[in-house]
Amino acid sequence: MIIIPKEIKQKPVEYMVLASIFLLGLLIYFFADISPHSQRLVVYFMAASYFFWSINHHYRRGDLSVSIIVEYLVMALFGIALLTASLF
Amino acid sequence: MKHKLSYYFIPQEKNNYRAQILKSGFLMLLVGFYIINQSVIKFIGAVKPGVLGYSSEITAQKVLNSTNIERQNSGLPPLKYSSVLSESATKKANDMFANNYWAHTSPSGTSPWDFFKAVDYHYSIAGENLARDFYDTESLMNGWMNSPTHKANIINTKYQEIGIGVVNGTLGGIKTTLVVQHFGTPISGSNTSKPKETKPKTAVNPEIKPEVVSNLAPDNKVASPTNSKILSEQKTDYINPLTINKIVGAIIFGLIIIVLFVDGYFTLKNGVNRLTGSNISHIGFLLIILLFMLYQRQGTIF
Repeated sequence: MIIIPKEIKQKPVEYMVLASIFLLGLLIYFFADISPHSQRLVVYFMAASYFFWSINHHYRRGDLSVSIIVEYLVMALFGIALLTASLF
Repeated sequence: MKHKLSYYFIPQEKNNYRAQILKSGFLMLLVGFYIINQSVIKFIGAVKPGVLGYSSEITAQKVLNSTNIERQNSGLPPLKYSSVLSESATKKANDMFANNYWAHTSPSGTSPWDFFKAVDYHYSIAGENLARDFYDTESLMNGWMNSPTHKANIINTKYQEIGIGVVNGTLGGIKTTLVVQHFGTPISGSNTSKPKETKPKTAVNPEIKPEVVSNLAPDNKVASPTNSKILSEQKTDYINPLTINKIVGAIIFGLIIIVLFVDGYFTLKNGVNRLTGSNISHIGFLLIILLFMLYQRQGTIF
C-alpha cells in the first residue's frame, strides 16, 4: 500500500513538475557525457529551479511570505554549499 | 537534556512548532560547520603533508592502452609510444611537485613546450593533458573524454606519438598521483640530441601552434614538496579527503532529512497548522543533492 501525503494529493501536478525537475537533473548528471564543470552547472540549475518552483507553489497556495522565501533560499544554498565546497 | 534535544528535533510550542534545527539560522550554522571542516582538512594537509592523499592504481601502460582504444573507437590509428615524450611528461610532473603548482604553465613561466625542448623533441605540433587525484584509469579517461578540449587532444588526427608520465608525490600538502600526457608529431628525422636552448621559444613551425588544453583553476597552495617517484605499485596508508567530505556531508544531510521526516510526522499527528515550506519538497531536494555527493568521483583534469 503506497501512502501519498495529503499535500501531494492536493497539488499533484505541481509535485509532478518538481519530480520531473529532479529526475531530469539526475539523468543529466549521471548519464550524460558532460564535464565536471557542466555537472556543477546542473546542480546550480536544479537548486534555482527548486527555488522558483517553491515560489510558484506557495503563491498558488496563497501562503507565500518572506519567511517561506528565505526558508527555500537557505535550503537551496545549503544544498549547493555542501556539494560545491567539497570537491568542485 | 531530553527537553533540549526535543527542542531541536521535535516541533513544539517552545520552538514555534518547527524543529529548531530546520530553521534558517541553524542551517546556516551547519553550512559554516561544513566550511570549517573543509578548512581543517586543508590545514592538516598544510602542516602534515602526506597524511591526506588519494590512492591510485593508474600506470603509464594502462593510460597508453586506454588512449589508443579511444582512438580506435574514433577510427584513428594508435599513437606510437615515445620514450622521449615520456621523459618530458615525467619531467613536467616532477616540476609540478617540486614547485607546487597545478597548471600547464608554471608560476615561473615554464610552458609545456619547454619540457619538449628540454628532451630535444622537435615537433611540428604538440599538446598536453593533465590529471590528478584519480583512483583508476577508467575514471581518468572518462574525465578527459568528457571534456571537449582534452578529448580533442586524445583523438587529434595530427598527433603521431605520445608519452605518459605517472608520478607520485605531494601537491598542496596532499599525496596524489599526477598523470601527464604529452602528444607530438616529430619533424622528420629531427629527434636526435641537440644542444639545449637557453631561452624558451614558440613552436618550431610558427604556423602550427601547439595546442594547450586548460580547464580548472590551479591549486596554488603553499606546501613543502616531497620527493616524487614513478608509480608502479601504490600503498594506501593515508586518509582520502574525498571520503572525509562524503562522510561529513552524508551525516549532515542525513540528519536534516531525518528531522524533516520527524517534523512532518509530529505536525500531522498533532494537527498543527503553520506557515512553513513543504517538508516533502525539502526532503526530495536534499536526497538528490546527497546522491550527487555520494557518487561524486575523485579526480581533477587540466
